[in-house]
Amino acid sequence: MLIALATCAGIVSIAGASPVAVAQALLQGATGTQYNISNTLVQTIPLLVTALAVIVAFRAEMFNIGVEGQFLLGAVFACWAGQLAVPGPVAVVVTLLASMLGGALWALIPAIMLHLRGVQIVLSSLIMNFIAVQVVAWVVRGPLQEAVREYPQSDPIRAAAELPKVVAGLQLHTGIWIALAMAVFFDMLLRFTVFGQQLKAIGNGLRASKTMGLPVSRILVSTVLISGALGGLAGGIQIAGVTHFLADPYSKGYGYTAIAVALLARLSPVGAIPAALLFGALTSGSSAAQSAGIPVVVLQVIQAVILFSILGARFTRTLLAKSGVKS
Amino acid sequence: MSQPVLSIQNITKSFGDFVALSDVSLNLQPGEIHAVLGENGAGKSTLLNILAGMTQATSGAILLNGAAVRFTSAVDAAKAGIGMVHQHFMLVPTLSATENLLLADMVEKRDWFSWPAGNIRKRIANQAASFGWDVDLDARIDTQTVGAQQRLEILKALQGERKVLLLDEPTAVLTPGELPGFFATIKAIAATGTGIIIITHKLDEVMAVADTVTVLRRGKVVHHGSTAGTSVQDLAREMVGDASNAFAVLTAKHEVSQAVGMSDVRIMLQDAAAVDGESVLRCGNLAIRAGEIFGVAGVDGNGQGALAALLTGNTELGAGSMSINGDDIFPHQSVSPRSFLAKGVSYIPADRQQDGLVMSMSIAENIVLDRVSEPTFTRYGMLLDRQAIREFAEREVERFDIRPADSSRIVSSLSGGNQQKVVIARALSRNPKVVVAVNPTRGLDVGAIAYVHRALRAATANGCCVVLISTELDEILALSDRVSVLYDGRMSETMPFSVGKVELGRLMGGTH
Repeated sequence: MLIALATCAGIVSIAGASPVAVAQALLQGATGTQYNISNTLVQTIPLLVTALAVIVAFRAEMFNIGVEGQFLLGAVFACWAGQLAVPGPVAVVVTLLASMLGGALWALIPAIMLHLRGVQIVLSSLIMNFIAVQVVAWVVRGPLQEAVREYPQSDPIRAAAELPKVVAGLQLHTGIWIALAMAVFFDMLLRFTVFGQQLKAIGNGLRASKTMGLPVSRILVSTVLISGALGGLAGGIQIAGVTHFLADPYSKGYGYTAIAVALLARLSPVGAIPAALLFGALTSGSSAAQSAGIPVVVLQVIQAVILFSILGARFTRTLLAKSGVKS
Repeated sequence: MSQPVLSIQNITKSFGDFVALSDVSLNLQPGEIHAVLGENGAGKSTLLNILAGMTQATSGAILLNGAAVRFTSAVDAAKAGIGMVHQHFMLVPTLSATENLLLADMVEKRDWFSWPAGNIRKRIANQAASFGWDVDLDARIDTQTVGAQQRLEILKALQGERKVLLLDEPTAVLTPGELPGFFATIKAIAATGTGIIIITHKLDEVMAVADTVTVLRRGKVVHHGSTAGTSVQDLAREMVGDASNAFAVLTAKHEVSQAVGMSDVRIMLQDAAAVDGESVLRCGNLAIRAGEIFGVAGVDGNGQGALAALLTGNTELGAGSMSINGDDIFPHQSVSPRSFLAKGVSYIPADRQQDGLVMSMSIAENIVLDRVSEPTFTRYGMLLDRQAIREFAEREVERFDIRPADSSRIVSSLSGGNQQKVVIARALSRNPKVVVAVNPTRGLDVGAIAYVHRALRAATANGCCVVLISTELDEILALSDRVSVLYDGRMSETMPFSVGKVELGRLMGGTH
């Protein structure tokens, strides 16, 4: 940790700024005011939900790196469903369910390719991301474009389909409760259910699971679909809670950052909560620091160094533990 | 006799407590073809690896042209004049023949800069011509036939001043049609004065090509002499041995009533064919009754994998007919291990760590691996009933004497014998009607072997039948009521267990 701080300080000095000032700006940006804390949490929500999508899939050794695409399709579906004339409190539920459906459908394509032809998820899901970006670009210029047809963006969803704010006047929306509930739910699912146990067996010993007669294909396909639905849900929450409309480009790469969050959390759903919070704080801290005049590149480097130092510290601990066992 | 080109004197090799080779001596004259014969695990490969410099003997000496040598690497051995052709070829598939030979030359001479492609091509072409071979030096290896690849391996092994050529199971990859040509080549190479050691378990081959033969059994030389003065029968007897051994304890009791009617046939195969990866079953015939142990003997790689996969739903029936517990299975019918489990077929796979266990999970989790979704182990249909799982696992741990007796222990921390007990506990705990066991005692110590054998025996008492596919002849004979031999994907006629080792050994070597 000291090394990380020293490295960061070094880099900042080279860039010609005061390390202390930068640190202050980051901290201030992440936690300084009510507004900043709210912003940190808002950034945390999509990261947490997409990280859960990654975790569920990675637990089964299904390297779904298409969460980004599933996020985008979830946003598209939510944007469409959010404009439907559905009465009152049902509207937001419909919106979020639609987003899960969108994400799951997007994941269904790689899942089918895996099931029929054994196409590696890591490849097919990645490719689907690029298509998803184009789908968003198309819908905001076509079927979902705003009524005035001026910009490549959609009309906002109906107010009833929005996720309410937690505290009036702050960005923070009730999606935070959904995200936290999902983290706890999936932790329980993986720990205490038959499905979780079978997923664990397949993830840790695919050949033995096949040979010994587990329903491998069924579980893998449902895992990919669940992962996709979570990715979609993240997109839906973003639409219903933050932006309220779809624009092109839409994602800030949440689906990719999610992989780092998931690995940082060691694929633990509950562990993803602090991991996503850290990334959320870094993101919101950075944007605040950026407006204080610190170049964005320096901030990205700092983020990377922090990530590396956490992983490095963990690696060193593992090494020490191993050598301890041996001696 | 002239001075031997290679002399092996009292070589012993042990791995921990296990003695792979014990006091092995052997002399090889220039121009002699010497066969080393033995079953799986007799120590043939260890001997070869010592000669090729890939491992070092614990004690004993190797003399090359009368001078003691000690190799610390394969390159050392090659420099000294010992060339080796491995059973699995050591050629880079995407390079041409010339490039492969060039690569070998560079490695041996530690010369990474010169590029003597022209010289090598000329030398190889001449050498190939002298054997009457037509080799394509420019085609990529992976486009050439296995026979052509082997010729290149031999040419590669013969580069430089070769005094000794080692061949590890050289005919395993060849088709019967390629054999006469191969034998002629071996003889031609020997005629140039090179001494040849050929490792094999095929008796016909020994008689066809070798001048002298050494038989290894359990790491010891049990026979040595010229092939002219011996017969296939003698060699088969020497190879498998007929003295008492670790398995003999159990041979006394064959209690199964042979009077059980054919109506009780649990598994039937007729002219069955199946493929599983590289393993091919060409013609499987068997009919196994309730309460019976049916032994399938044979040397590894003769179709055991495909037979086991077929019987457990891991691969589909390619041709022929098959029934399990009265259910007919048709060619190309879609099957799954799950559907076979439902029919009462339990599987003890050959590779327990890959196919049998999830190594990073606990004993309890592995014992209920495929059964967690059963009502016994669940609550409300989808939640795990951890207590039921633990209690069940602890009963099995006690019943099968798994140590340490802690069902939450991670399987990878157990000894091989206890890992195998976990696999067996799972297979038998579901009260199967059929158990398919492949090499169930491989790598286990004597105590664990006796344990596994008792467990399989006990299972038959409840009317279960066992298909025992094993390369250990002693094990087959100790346990089985009836036996068959698998050779080149074909099963021999079914014989009573009293058939005797010599006859089985002969069939395992592919002679009729």
